[in-house]
Amino acid sequence: MSYEPPVTDYDYIVENCTCAFCGCNCDDLDFLVKDNHVVAVRHACRLGASKVMEDLDQRLMVPMVRNEEGVLTETDWDTALDTAAEYIANSIRPVFYGWSETSTECMKEGLELGEYIGAVLDNQATICHGPSLQAMQNAGYPIQTLGEVKNRADVVVYSGSNAMNSHPRHLARWAVYPRGYFRQRGRFDRTVVTMDPKFSDTAKCSDMWIGFEQNGDYGFYNAIRAVIKGKKLQSESVSGIPAEDIYELVDVMKNAEFGVLFFGLGLTHTLGKQRNIDIAIKMVQDLNAMSKWGLTPMRGHFNVNGFNIFMAFETGWAFGVDFCRGWGRYMLGETNTIDLLVRKEPDCFMVVAADPGAHFPNGANQHLADIPVIQVDIHWGPSTELADVVLPGSFISVECAGTSYRMDGVPIYMKKAIDKPETCRDDEWIIRELKERVMKLREETNVAEKYVPNPIMDLKRLEKEE
Amino acid sequence: MHYANSYLERPVVGDPHVDSDVGRLEVLNCMLNTGSDIYQGACKKRGSTLKEEYKNASGTCYMDPRDMAKLGVKNWDHVLVKTDYGEVVVSAARSRDAPHEGTVFICKGPWANTITSHETYCCSDPTYKGIHATVEKTDREVLLMADLMRWVYKKYVDEEDDDVVENMESLGERPFYNGRKWEELENHEL
Amino acid sequence: MEYILKNGIVYDPQNEINGETMDIFIKDDQIAESVSDDAKVIDVSNKIVMPAGVDVHAHVAGPKLVLGRLYRPEDSRMGVSQKTKIERAEAGFSIPCCPTTGYRYSRMGYGTVCEAAMPPLEAKHTHEEIATIPNIDINPVTLFGNNWFCMEYAREGRIEEMAAYIAAMLRVSKGYGVKIVNPCGSEAWGWGQNVHGYDDKAPYFDVTSRQLVVALAKANEMLGLPHSIHIHPNDLGHPGNYPTTVETLKSIKEIKKSTKKAAKIRDQTVHNTHLQFHAYDGTSWKDASSGADKVADFINHNDYVTGDVGQVTFDETTTMTADAPMEYDLFQISGLKWANKDIECETAAGIIPCIYSPKTPVGTLQWAIGLELFLLVDNPWQICMSTDHPNAGPFIRYPRIISWLMSAPRRMEMIENGEVHKWSHKRTGLAGLDREYDFYEIATITRAAPAKIHGFPDRGALTPGYKADIAVYDVNPNDFDPSRNPEMVERIFTSAAYTIKDGQILVKDGDLVATKPSHVIWTDVKGWEREEAQVLNEMMPFFTQYYSVKWENYQVHDHFLSNPIKVEVPAK
Ligand code: SF4
Ligand SMILES: [Zn+2]
Repeated sequence: MSYEPPVTDYDYIVENCTCAFCGCNCDDLDFLVKDNHVVAVRHACRLGASKVMEDLDQRLMVPMVRNEEGVLTETDWDTALDTAAEYIANSIRPVFYGWSETSTECMKEGLELGEYIGAVLDNQATICHGPSLQAMQNAGYPIQTLGEVKNRADVVVYSGSNAMNSHPRHLARWAVYPRGYFRQRGRFDRTVVTMDPKFSDTAKCSDMWIGFEQNGDYGFYNAIRAVIKGKKLQSESVSGIPAEDIYELVDVMKNAEFGVLFFGLGLTHTLGKQRNIDIAIKMVQDLNAMSKWGLTPMRGHFNVNGFNIFMAFETGWAFGVDFCRGWGRYMLGETNTIDLLVRKEPDCFMVVAADPGAHFPNGANQHLADIPVIQVDIHWGPSTELADVVLPGSFISVECAGTSYRMDGVPIYMKKAIDKPETCRDDEWIIRELKERVMKLREETNVAEKYVPNPIMDLKRLEKEE
Repeated sequence: MHYANSYLERPVVGDPHVDSDVGRLEVLNCMLNTGSDIYQGACKKRGSTLKEEYKNASGTCYMDPRDMAKLGVKNWDHVLVKTDYGEVVVSAARSRDAPHEGTVFICKGPWANTITSHETYCCSDPTYKGIHATVEKTDREVLLMADLMRWVYKKYVDEEDDDVVENMESLGERPFYNGRKWEELENHEL
Repeated sequence: MEYILKNGIVYDPQNEINGETMDIFIKDDQIAESVSDDAKVIDVSNKIVMPAGVDVHAHVAGPKLVLGRLYRPEDSRMGVSQKTKIERAEAGFSIPCCPTTGYRYSRMGYGTVCEAAMPPLEAKHTHEEIATIPNIDINPVTLFGNNWFCMEYAREGRIEEMAAYIAAMLRVSKGYGVKIVNPCGSEAWGWGQNVHGYDDKAPYFDVTSRQLVVALAKANEMLGLPHSIHIHPNDLGHPGNYPTTVETLKSIKEIKKSTKKAAKIRDQTVHNTHLQFHAYDGTSWKDASSGADKVADFINHNDYVTGDVGQVTFDETTTMTADAPMEYDLFQISGLKWANKDIECETAAGIIPCIYSPKTPVGTLQWAIGLELFLLVDNPWQICMSTDHPNAGPFIRYPRIISWLMSAPRRMEMIENGEVHKWSHKRTGLAGLDREYDFYEIATITRAAPAKIHGFPDRGALTPGYKADIAVYDVNPNDFDPSRNPEMVERIFTSAAYTIKDGQILVKDGDLVATKPSHVIWTDVKGWEREEAQVLNEMMPFFTQYYSVKWENYQVHDHFLSNPIKVEVPAK
């Protein structure tokens, strides 16, 4: 990138805008606006800035439907929505995937439609922190808000997370550099450890780099737990890390006043998957017997956590909830998108603010080539190449307001700074329209005649079960 | 109008310059990791996925310089990466995180998708990391995103043959609308 | 729409109506003196009519709840049922999802629930959930008991600034009142510690729990808020903790109740929640026994105190409280999966599943202590129904608790046939208590008293002008002996014959016939604007430096409020 002079030609500034990129949800951005365009962004990192300063070449402006030759053709909203609604109404196993880059307000509409038609609702957690959610269901979940980290943390561990690349301001705003209430000297008051097979950009600015072997995560954490509990290691090295280094590391961790483990896809995407997180959580729990420790998964999209939270309070489960029987079913590894696609179950696929084309493995995406795909998004992306109906949404946090949840669960209301292009619509509006149209086309599925309480509601005292 | 610019033709990478073992291997057996980096992230979320820039950010195999030397590839030479799940042509470049001999890294994106594992082992999440792969030098071109999607999924072409699809006329770096060119849309006084 | 509820047997303790047969008139969303001839007549003869239930303290919406649901899919699976034309699919047992929560409260004849812990930083989340819960109105109380600003004000004795801060924060978080949980203790948990007793200090904060609570109580009365301070004292769940509880309550004695209008409805200056967890004698679980008599005795002699029980119900449930260190203690005992959430500058929360079995000594002791409290506190206006849902059990067990309260033979049966562990009578005085509640007292502890304690001017009674929130139960108290029919009592209160909310029939014969959006109730203090501005101005540099969000994004925007009922408090 070449040097660019600061932007001085703007009409006004909108302060305290929220970045709709990563799970840091930085809410301190200033947008410089001229003629209803954001011409520059202050405070954002490279990622955030590039998203806000979007590529207008590829901005989806007009609804499109594939014609017989397989070419996307521009059309009016009514036609596009009707075509999409018909695909949904005529399907028996629809999957509504995505949602992590839109607002909870939009999710609400999507859920209503999903419950009505009996769809599976799933989000990007299925390809990123799904194993983390599964692990917390096994082992627990001691977390803290990021302000706690800023104010108290003296030991910060990044494991399988390259924050410098994927959450660039995470270190600067909370975890490493800032001066917190009990950490007045900022960086100098903290010990930063990065655990990653790669000498990543985050490792480069850490005090310790633990480069355990690829797929060696589980064994490594196991060894740490053993040492925490006062055991001696039997071998000279574990997962490629010499025993002395492990002793030293455990010393640092035990003596922390307030330690935090941030973990990323490095743990969830390797072979051990949820087991890696399981044991990391248990390690944090062990450490609490002698120190104070917490953890936070480094959620990728700005509202991927929001969808999980939203689904949990609306339906009881975080993601991958299947409504095909008229009540919610949730079984990790079965009712999730990748598994469904690999099994070739879905017969209609709606993508809302997500890009499976860019992020699903070939083996899953192949099925998308065989079924109708409806895309609601703002840019022409890989998924557009697989889409049969394209509905141009609006840019949340810039052109449209809405609620999102940060990686630590702090809710943030992202305000609107400029108007959306005239031909686009808000995601929330699009999904509501679809819902209403589908409702006209088809009766609600799987409705019980009468409410039948779950037998557990009459559960007599426990001993009768025993 | 002046827009602040975050476009970057291709990621900044170091010079491999390793002299030993040059050209010793035809095929490199290695471990493939995928994931995100800041170039890929910035380009993807800006929405520039049809562009050459995305191809360079996402369709690049980051390698240890010693591995590059073994195969005799220089920065931005093309390599063919194969796994049990597929194959894809990407550029090679020196990894900023080297040394990590025996491990290669491709940013997530359509190129990596072609060769990553969809196995979830019943826990929802595919195996994006730690996949066995081979890397070899090739003359084939790295496809742009739209061309790659056409080649891999063939959803809208009546052609089954990989080679034929691979060599079809490129869909280009701009949205392909029927009847109307992008330039004719309003609000594009860039 | 107009209705006449004809010939019901009415229990309305606020109006001292005790089982009189009379008609109740409804016009639109209110109870009326009379109605026109067009009114629809609903015959409720030989049925009990009460104001709709008011839950004085429960955890139904907010970040803790979601954490529980996220990490306990097994609990969500436990309560599933298929959707109908009227209601969405249900899920959850101890921590039901939001729609289910509303439906189940409605079926029991409830109309209002206090969400008992809202951290300001995540208040938007609480409000999003409240908006998702149908059928019941919710007043969330905001957490102040470990708030850094409050701790500083208390240390410096700046009560007026504290009051201004509370006024501002109630507006910022759209909260109803002042909640205090384990004062100073959750801050200590920031370092993995706890405070012990009422006169301990949080590390680095030179202020005791006592100073903080007294200051908050003074500020609360200075503002004249409708509700008093709502406290969960220190040492929850520890054997030998009753002196801490009594000390805490004693320290409020000298504080004068506000004479302002909004504060007129209530009598108390302190509400102690889930007393059961705070009424233990002994020194460890080995020799633990009931301290209920001492706590009840104190309450019986001090009318400025009210409380709710937090009755254990013998279920597999999910404990969750802002008393995070206590949850970690539980984790070390049970080893079940432990979740925790610390919130910067404000509070912490811990969660752990818990199985209260009647076969175990501790769970049974807790069960018996809860019942003792109900039976030993003489004045039903001073003690309310609660399970501290979901902590001691899910709220759907209220009817079962009612059946225990109304039937001494049932309690004795449980003790005598070994249904419950022997600690129930060896370590408590429960076996010696033969008091039985009557329907009038039940109506008091489940609706009249909670409404009065929260200072609601529009519910908890069948007074004309009040909200038409009414429950009808299908039993004729004149030819029914609850003492001999505990199972029947449970059934009656589990499914209301009618639940009417805002004049709309939501439940008929135990089945939902309609749903409606809920209201959120919050307190807007007027007349402190200048002081508030000053306080905010003073705290802003600190806020900017040490919070993780911008002030603008910290506040709960009107967007999040579901049909708000704003209680205006002209404080000056
Ligand atoms: S760190 Fe994340 S949220 Fe913050 S500006 Fe960068 S991309 Fe946006
Ligand atoms: Zn409580």
